[in-house]
Amino acid sequence: MGSNYLIREGIKNVFKNKKATMISLITMICAMFLFGTFFAIGENVNSVLEQVQKSQGMEVFIQNEATDEQTSELEMKIKALDGINTVTFKSKQEALDLMKENLKDNQDLLEGYEGEKNIFPASFIVTLTDLSLATEIEAKIETMENVKKITSNNDTINTLMKIANGIKIAIGAISVILLMISITIIANTIRLTVHARRKEISIMKYVGATNHFIRWPFIIEGIIIGVLAAGITILIVGAMYDFVIQAIEQSNILQTMGVTLLQFPEIVNLIAIAYVILGIGVGMIGSSISMKKYLEV
Amino acid sequence: MEHLAHGKSTLIKLILKEEEVSRGNIIINGKDITYLKPRRVPYLRRSMGVVFQDFRLLPDKTVYENVAFAMYIVKATPKHIRRQVPMVLSLVGLSNKAKMYPNELSGGEQQRVALARALVNNPTMIIADEPTGNLDPETAWDIMSLLNEINSRGTTVVMATHAKDIVDNMKKRVIEINAGVIVRDDKKGGYDSGK
Repeated sequence: MGSNYLIREGIKNVFKNKKATMISLITMICAMFLFGTFFAIGENVNSVLEQVQKSQGMEVFIQNEATDEQTSELEMKIKALDGINTVTFKSKQEALDLMKENLKDNQDLLEGYEGEKNIFPASFIVTLTDLSLATEIEAKIETMENVKKITSNNDTINTLMKIANGIKIAIGAISVILLMISITIIANTIRLTVHARRKEISIMKYVGATNHFIRWPFIIEGIIIGVLAAGITILIVGAMYDFVIQAIEQSNILQTMGVTLLQFPEIVNLIAIAYVILGIGVGMIGSSISMKKYLEV
Repeated sequence: MEHLAHGKSTLIKLILKEEEVSRGNIIINGKDITYLKPRRVPYLRRSMGVVFQDFRLLPDKTVYENVAFAMYIVKATPKHIRRQVPMVLSLVGLSNKAKMYPNELSGGEQQRVALARALVNNPTMIIADEPTGNLDPETAWDIMSLLNEINSRGTTVVMATHAKDIVDNMKKRVIEINAGVIVRDDKKGGYDSGK
């Protein structure tokens, strides 16, 4: 029953100090909004990079002597490797057609290489789920039978990896800084609330209340405000997100890059979990930190 | 009892463990509390009821809630609280003001609420620091007769005051403190006796 009383007191506090509640709520929403915006941008950058990475890969040329059976055996072996996204077969004819297409007006250069005389080797286009495995996979495929040679755009891969890592580090650092700023602002807001009620706290202490007994209503108040702020911010971020995504998708930039952005439902769970943890955590830690000073009576 | 700023408030603060002793020991009910752990201080305070000059009521709680608060602290059952609080409020004569807030009450009424809060957990001792200091003489006597009644029911009342007429009229044990030193301890004394 003791805890019931403390929870009731916490809920009462939320409505009793309307001004302080509003200030804490607005501060928390602002901090969470910034955090959420960067989180959403970060998730999308990651997702786009992943999509680009997955379209990168290598071309494994097959020995001309290889039989159909040996070819499909090779395909099975490649597919069995870790980190393989797709394996697409390109026949000799397809290779020739592609070359013709590339030569455009000079197609006559290739006359006489049709059919039996086709000098272009068949190949597998291999794409990867994780570009950092590229070198390792390439080495493994090279040792397989009937592999003539492998070409890969290593430079592109390396550049992409560098960009991806750079962006991940930048977004991570910004998120951490924002998180620290949020905690500081919120802890300060709570400190003001506690300061305004220092007399009340000291009276409770004189009557023989334990720190635990005094602290919990404040912590519960912090949690309620945190969860409330989380809910409101999710609605705001959701509305903004859909609006921005629609604007970007209408501009066709993404289609030319061959990538898509995440829809809000795909990231809402992560944001919601982050917010609830943030709200409860900051509410709890903030309340405890800011109360410490006033509990020493 | 003693002169202003001669150590009576310090004594009360020492008993409540609000201040640490620089020398000597504090023994309450045979228990040495000189080096009581901070964690245990709330439990010490619960064993006695405390009344202050400035009442120290929680401003946003009603009379009833202020008294009930002291019982919530000791984790009393709701049933016990519902029975005990009205009883104590009727003892101090405030049954009809249970739903009012401290700022709606007179000084004397507020002090009676504080007294009810001090009494509600049936402590063996009531500590009163200048309980009549902010009250007019007539109201002060109401409070004193209440304290006297509480005392006659078997509760020790330790009261710090410099009000001469109260000390003279109560004819209780008087301990005079001057500059932090006990200079007199009379079984049934007045303010100036012995001088």
